[in-house]
Amino acid sequence: MGEIDSALSPLSVSGLRKSYGKVRALRGVSLSLGGSGVTAILGPNGAGKTTLINCALGLVKKDSGDISVFGHKPGKMKARRRVGVMLQDTDLPDLLTGRELLTLFASYYASPLGIEDVISLTDTAGFISKRYKKLSGGQKRRVQFALAIIGNPDVLFLDEPTTGLDTDARKALWDIVRAFVAQGKTIVLTTHYLEEADALADRIIVIGHGKVIADASADDIRNRMSGSVIRCQTCLSASAIAKLDGYLSAETAGRFTDIRTQDSAATLRQLLAQDNTLSDLTISRPRLEDAFSELTHDDA
Amino acid sequence: MMMLKSLWIETGAEILKVVRAPEYIIPTLLFPVAFYFMFGVILAGSSNNAGYLLATYGIFAVMGPAIFGFGVSTATEREKGWLTLKRAAPAPAVNYIAAKVISTIIFAAMAIALLYIVGGFVGGVELPRRTWALLLLTHMLSVLPFILIGLTLGFLLNANAAIAFANIVFMGLAVLGGLWIPIFVFPELMQTIARFLPSYHLGEIALAISGQPAAPGQGAREIGGHLAMVINMTIGLAALTLFAWTRQRK
Repeated sequence: MGEIDSALSPLSVSGLRKSYGKVRALRGVSLSLGGSGVTAILGPNGAGKTTLINCALGLVKKDSGDISVFGHKPGKMKARRRVGVMLQDTDLPDLLTGRELLTLFASYYASPLGIEDVISLTDTAGFISKRYKKLSGGQKRRVQFALAIIGNPDVLFLDEPTTGLDTDARKALWDIVRAFVAQGKTIVLTTHYLEEADALADRIIVIGHGKVIADASADDIRNRMSGSVIRCQTCLSASAIAKLDGYLSAETAGRFTDIRTQDSAATLRQLLAQDNTLSDLTISRPRLEDAFSELTHDDA
Repeated sequence: MMMLKSLWIETGAEILKVVRAPEYIIPTLLFPVAFYFMFGVILAGSSNNAGYLLATYGIFAVMGPAIFGFGVSTATEREKGWLTLKRAAPAPAVNYIAAKVISTIIFAAMAIALLYIVGGFVGGVELPRRTWALLLLTHMLSVLPFILIGLTLGFLLNANAAIAFANIVFMGLAVLGGLWIPIFVFPELMQTIARFLPSYHLGEIALAISGQPAAPGQGAREIGGHLAMVINMTIGLAALTLFAWTRQRK
């Protein structure tokens, strides 16, 4: 990553530290966002993702380090006017309708998007006139998303946007996020769902124990796990497996053994030749999850 | 200009929230006038009760919307993260408070109007036009210290605790402040306690304005002294509210 002028960067962080009592939530985080697209901040629960977002929004005071939003101190009006946000664990007033909430939020911005445009983009027309209390979990999130974009923000922060949603509701929200990104917007998304980062992100920043563990494009991270994974039931010993051609690593879980290999064809020829009891054979590409667990594992 | 439009929309939203929770607003509006009708008009032994209680029930009537409206709704919305979301968005905090103040004043005015209608037309309270106007001003301005009490509760407590405390504070201020039963019939200790309550001093001001004779064995009511107490208490409450507000932002 090259140096990016902090006045242009939607989020520029360097050496950021924050502790809550004895808990060190952020232990020197540095990152800088450039142009449009989705950056996923990925990490297990308690990794410091939400603390980072809350620092960027000016909701939490940093202990030390630097953080700026388009060159402004987080929490200043100048920064807030350019930011849209969907927070974790937030509910809107029960007794107002989505449309009323949108009208209210639109009034905070100098040049908001049109309310009808936002309703159609977020696909909320069917329930936007219902009171918030009466909506389902997925519908509530969509109204929250609509509120986050009504100000036509230059950067949108989504903190665990799909936690607690079922698969359909999650996919529906992803579609809306993609539609918004297609308009050339910048999104910062925190998630502990790898699948979510994989589905949406152009860039993935992995955070663990308050530090940046990896920062690369989604493809890069996947490529770190080159080769294939052979899953099978085999009677070969671990030492015999390690001598196979193309062998990278192996792991046995229950009845199955996963063998990571650079050359699946070569490994497989030997495997079949040496073990005539071999069964339940599958070959797959390594998943992002494998890369992810390897990265966080290295750190621990 | 944009700020004003935003305040207008925010105020509308506050009023909608109140109107859509009739289970809260109807008792708040009807209790004072119902009690007043009962004790000031129907059960009025001596003919003067309607006039006396109109002054003190006016204070009681504005306490409900202020303490419950501010205390409980602020605590609930803070707990849900709605205030945090507004703080991340470019929503001016002043608008949120101002919208709630305006909506509270509107509902307090409705409670007062009901009271004056019953007092004037059914209770036979007769006052010069100027006195009515002064009394109305006193009652409406009384909303201020109670709003500060409500806000402090809302910032410091979670929603359930805020409801419980609002009830205690509400009843305490009414009874111990002598709004239901004149304080001079209580033991001396309770009369001493009353001097520390804004409701007592506001009640005395309202009684003095409406020309109620002084309590037996006591000198004439000094509006100036009570007003000074109310102003001091309001300043103290404002400081407390400011502390509570800063604290909830961490």
